[in-house]
Amino acid sequence: MALSTHTTTTGFLLPSIHSAPPFFTQQPHPASLSIATEQWIQIILKYARHRRLFTVRVEDSEALGNDWDEILRNERINRKLIPSYLSYILAQMVSQNLAVYEPPKQDRSILIYWRLPEEWAEVLYEWVSSSGNLNTIMTFYEITDPPVESPLSGLPIPLLRQAITLLSKSNRAQIIAISEGEGVRFFPTTGKA
Amino acid sequence: MALQKFSKSVDGTIPVQALLYNDEELIASQDGVGIYDGLQKSPQHQSGTVHVTSQRLFYIDALKKASRSFYLELSRVSQTDYYAGLFTSSPKVTLHLSSDNFVAEESTQTGFESWECEVCAYRNPPGLSPSAARICGLCGVPRSLPGKISSSVEIPQSNPTSSLPPSASTSVLPEHPREPSLIACPACTFLNHPSMRTCEICATPLPKAEGDPHIAKSAPATRPGTPGSDNNDPDSKTIKLSFRRGGDKAFYAALKRSLKGRAWEVAPLNVANDGVRSGISGIMQAVETNAQNRDTNMSNALEDLEALMAKAKDMVRLAAELNERLTASSTTTANNPYSSSLSLLSSTSTEPEEATFIRSSLSQLGLQMENTPVTLDMMKDEREWMEQLARELANVLQGSAKANLSSSTGGGMMKERGIIALDEVWGGWNRARGVALIPPSTFLQVVPLLPAFTNPTITSRSLNSGLAVLHTPPYSRAAFAARVCGLLALAGPKSTTEIAQEEGMTISLTAEMLNIVEEDGDVCRDDGRCVIQENSQDVLVLGEVNWWANLFLGYSWDGQQ
Repeated sequence: MALSTHTTTTGFLLPSIHSAPPFFTQQPHPASLSIATEQWIQIILKYARHRRLFTVRVEDSEALGNDWDEILRNERINRKLIPSYLSYILAQMVSQNLAVYEPPKQDRSILIYWRLPEEWAEVLYEWVSSSGNLNTIMTFYEITDPPVESPLSGLPIPLLRQAITLLSKSNRAQIIAISEGEGVRFFPTTGKA
Repeated sequence: MALQKFSKSVDGTIPVQALLYNDEELIASQDGVGIYDGLQKSPQHQSGTVHVTSQRLFYIDALKKASRSFYLELSRVSQTDYYAGLFTSSPKVTLHLSSDNFVAEESTQTGFESWECEVCAYRNPPGLSPSAARICGLCGVPRSLPGKISSSVEIPQSNPTSSLPPSASTSVLPEHPREPSLIACPACTFLNHPSMRTCEICATPLPKAEGDPHIAKSAPATRPGTPGSDNNDPDSKTIKLSFRRGGDKAFYAALKRSLKGRAWEVAPLNVANDGVRSGISGIMQAVETNAQNRDTNMSNALEDLEALMAKAKDMVRLAAELNERLTASSTTTANNPYSSSLSLLSSTSTEPEEATFIRSSLSQLGLQMENTPVTLDMMKDEREWMEQLARELANVLQGSAKANLSSSTGGGMMKERGIIALDEVWGGWNRARGVALIPPSTFLQVVPLLPAFTNPTITSRSLNSGLAVLHTPPYSRAAFAARVCGLLALAGPKSTTEIAQEEGMTISLTAEMLNIVEEDGDVCRDDGRCVIQENSQDVLVLGEVNWWANLFLGYSWDGQQ
């Protein structure tokens, strides 16, 4: 049976291994398992970037009708990822620092770092300076839901907060309490900080 | 006539042993006996078997067992005569019968069933002889029979003459439990219990009950007989046994002994004399005696079994010798058919059907074997014993060279199979040995020696679950994995069941083996739990596992960058 890649309706190119039935089983053999899990993590990260998704929940493998359908199930070969295996994969992602449990102190859903917080910080600063918003105070809402589509649209607040925290360490941003809640002010860089 | 009066018909189709009371004993039997009723031949009873027991005399008719058989209480026999026979006249035994203990007879009518003792509530079993049934088996208290009085009162009338031997009437009668009817008080007319001496209400002395034994016993003296029509005729009270086929002397001796033994009165007398047989200690003793008897019986029975076991070994040796000799003789015939008459074993070699017959009977008895099983006492030392055992086990597994030639019997357990569970081997080996079974510990010691005696070599291996197996080289870890991989590469993914069919192994064993292959990373699994929806196009059904060649090893990303 020759395995082939497949392009989903959202235009994502699935790897050929996604059409192999054993890929959906948690393999008892440790080496096979680590390879398969690695591939799963790749698929999840790349698909999340492709569709700008930020969370995966274990429940996503159980019910139809969510953003992850075309990844966690393969109707063509009649296979689906069972929750126990997905939960194992999520745990692996967290341990590899590719995701974090969100909300914390549970293990049913994760926040995916398809960009690391450091990368997000750079992206954020880039966008702020290119849109001429340095030295002004912005609300979180203005950043995550700007009138013009930006790379930061839809960014979850916890991730945004992490990025800002990272920027404030290099004195490029500061969190300020304002009347509507919290705001942030970005500073122009003074050379290498 | 005497026969009609004294005998009781019995169903002769029942074996005599089954007709006996529990405490009755069969003493002697004689066939070819005819009966004379008085002086005349009894036409209905001319050929039959007579059995004498400790209590009764049975006649079982040879022709019409069911209708013409009868028995006679020995307690009725007052005297016997023996006539040795002359010319054509057969030897005869004459039994003089007395009719005076009808009472005992009647009491047995109701007594022959299970009954509960009034005193200790012990349920006495049925099947005891009339005399034994009159008293409780546990506490020894005589049984009280309602309605007894009427028959007791009749004694005087039925007592014919004083010429009777005193023993039967006087010794048996006082033992009778009697329950005379209630006694009416002459003063106040209250009906008192028969055992009362004075009235319970007014203390007036009561007249003695009518059924009192003293009155009864004195009756014969005061009233010398109310003879019936035929009571005076001595012929009407004799029965003759005519021994047409001999055996008369021995039978007569047995009859005499039985009559002398008086088993029908011994039981109650014994009980009466035995002082301990009363009260709780008596009951306890009875129970103890019972338990002891049961113990003795049990150990006797087991002794027999042990004796049989002891004989079994000899039996097997004999069978083996016989078998060997037969084999020798048949090969002799095969090699030189013309000189067979010269050989020492000419008798058997010229009669192959007989040999076959003996062999088939031996095999039906489970005694057929190539040679006798190896036992420790045949061997000089432990090491040789183990090696012999290994050789024998190899034969069981692969079949001996000899057996393979004779086709049908040969083969061995692993002829068709390359892998077999250890427990099955152990069971099969012991079944083949039949005697001197091998304990598991010895078996496990023998298994490592197997490779030296088998071809192809059989080795043992234990699987992940702890299941130990014996296998031929194709079922070693590497060879099996290679074969499975080849199969999967060639025919695509297979389920456990399909692989089991392919390999001719049980499914559970296959699953075990595949788990080991998986451990080596040669295959990967496709679990039925991951199926979205069961449908006919999918080879995998829920709950099954499909096996694939491992497609993860060496895979590199070919999806979206």
